[in-house]
Amino acid sequence: MKTMRWRWLTVLVAALALGACGEEKKSATATATTAAPAAAARQFAAGTTMAKLQKEKKITIGVKFDVPPFGFKNPNTGDVEGFDIDIAKAIADELGVTPKYIEALSDNRIQFLKDGTADLILSTMTINAERDQEIDFSEPYFIAKGRILVKNDSGIKGVADLAGKKVCTALGSTYEETLKKQAPKAKLTLVDSYSECLESIQNGSVDAVSTDDVILTGMIIQDDTLKLVGDVLTTEPYGAGIKQGDKEFKAFVDEVIAKFKSDGRWAASYKKWIGQYTKEDQKPPTMTLKEALALSK
Amino acid sequence: MSKLLDLLTQNADELAGGLWVTCRLVAGAFAIALVVGTFVAALRIAPSKWLRRLGGIYVETLRNLPLLVLLFISFAGLRRAGVPIGPWTAGIASLGLYTAAYVAEVLRSGVFSVSKGQVEASLSLGFSYAQTLRRIVLPQAFRTVLSPLGSVTIAMIKNSAIVGVSLLALPDLLKEVRIIAARTFETTEAFFWAAVGYLLLTGAATVVFRLLERKFAIRR
Repeated sequence: MKTMRWRWLTVLVAALALGACGEEKKSATATATTAAPAAAARQFAAGTTMAKLQKEKKITIGVKFDVPPFGFKNPNTGDVEGFDIDIAKAIADELGVTPKYIEALSDNRIQFLKDGTADLILSTMTINAERDQEIDFSEPYFIAKGRILVKNDSGIKGVADLAGKKVCTALGSTYEETLKKQAPKAKLTLVDSYSECLESIQNGSVDAVSTDDVILTGMIIQDDTLKLVGDVLTTEPYGAGIKQGDKEFKAFVDEVIAKFKSDGRWAASYKKWIGQYTKEDQKPPTMTLKEALALSK
Repeated sequence: MSKLLDLLTQNADELAGGLWVTCRLVAGAFAIALVVGTFVAALRIAPSKWLRRLGGIYVETLRNLPLLVLLFISFAGLRRAGVPIGPWTAGIASLGLYTAAYVAEVLRSGVFSVSKGQVEASLSLGFSYAQTLRRIVLPQAFRTVLSPLGSVTIAMIKNSAIVGVSLLALPDLLKEVRIIAARTFETTEAFFWAAVGYLLLTGAATVVFRLLERKFAIRR
């Protein structure tokens, strides 16, 4: 009788463990497939990336998982959300496929495109000439400004005060170069993701964080003891990353983004993710890819 | 091939700097690991049950936590609790204390490898417990532990890379290589030099432990 009881207990524990695993798997797939594919799919010429993606019925898009309000995991639902994700959805819908989101960090996303891990990158990526040698960019879909974030009581007023101070930014971002030029005496702390910069400034191991204003605004939303200081350091036009030389796919992505900008979806998405925090209004960017590339030269 | 050499010559300063940071990290952690590891091993073979238990708790806690978690607690956790610990202190201490748990286990197993009969014989011949440890047990244990101690050291050198990728953001070899890779987009070439750098360090450790093993080997 006693052994019987033990056997039941073992079975119960095993069942619970299996159940837990099953649950986890379910939520993982839920993250991967958020939007339902559109009913009527467009036809594309055979051999194009669009036709290939339609055949596979999914598109893998590299996005940020920890950068509100552009790409972040909603803690309640586990879904990835944000401004970048809205554009990703628009592209997937146009193809009539399911978007699958993978996390793209600043220093691995270009590799993702090169080795085919991702079909598209939408991860707050600034268009610049160096990156353009490695991948292709869409037309700019958002213009961010480089700023500095400090604690309310830090006494740092601008880029000139950063000498000798520790400044956090992401490894592989454009700010490594920007800071070396504009604040040559600042000590750089290069981490993998901006959430680590937030932790570092909160625990006091760095004095400032420098990156795009919208990312920094996301940090202020989470912690109101932080503030933006100083002038705009740089203009950072965001573009979608596409595999080098895939002209048809770039034309398609540009077309979807142009439509997204003109039919009111851009404005709605901006208001939902960014405007409600910054209380600022903004129009879709009119800057062209050429102008964006010229900025970085 | 020339691309590979170009990457080395153009980024020699960063690569050398990174290697030097890794060296200092490893050297500091190794010293801590040996001292604390020996102390914990002593606790684990102590005659008192409570001391043995204390040593056991140390080993099981440190050994059963991922190093990354330990680094996060020792740095972000302590800082948030108001302890102004720096990334160097946190890095060397975490890696050292973590490795100490393994060192303690290696040393303990070495002591247990000397048969109980020898200890009993030594005690019955009139040696004290301390004398027995020093003259009979430890010299034999030392030989036995050299080889596993070498493995622990090599594991520690490799684990030092985790310190660099963590929140501590120390500019160690792996971090410098990743910065170079992000700047030049020559990922394969950059990581090749990371591999060379780590092989230099682990290779040096291997040679040192080989020599020690040969010097203290029992001729069989």
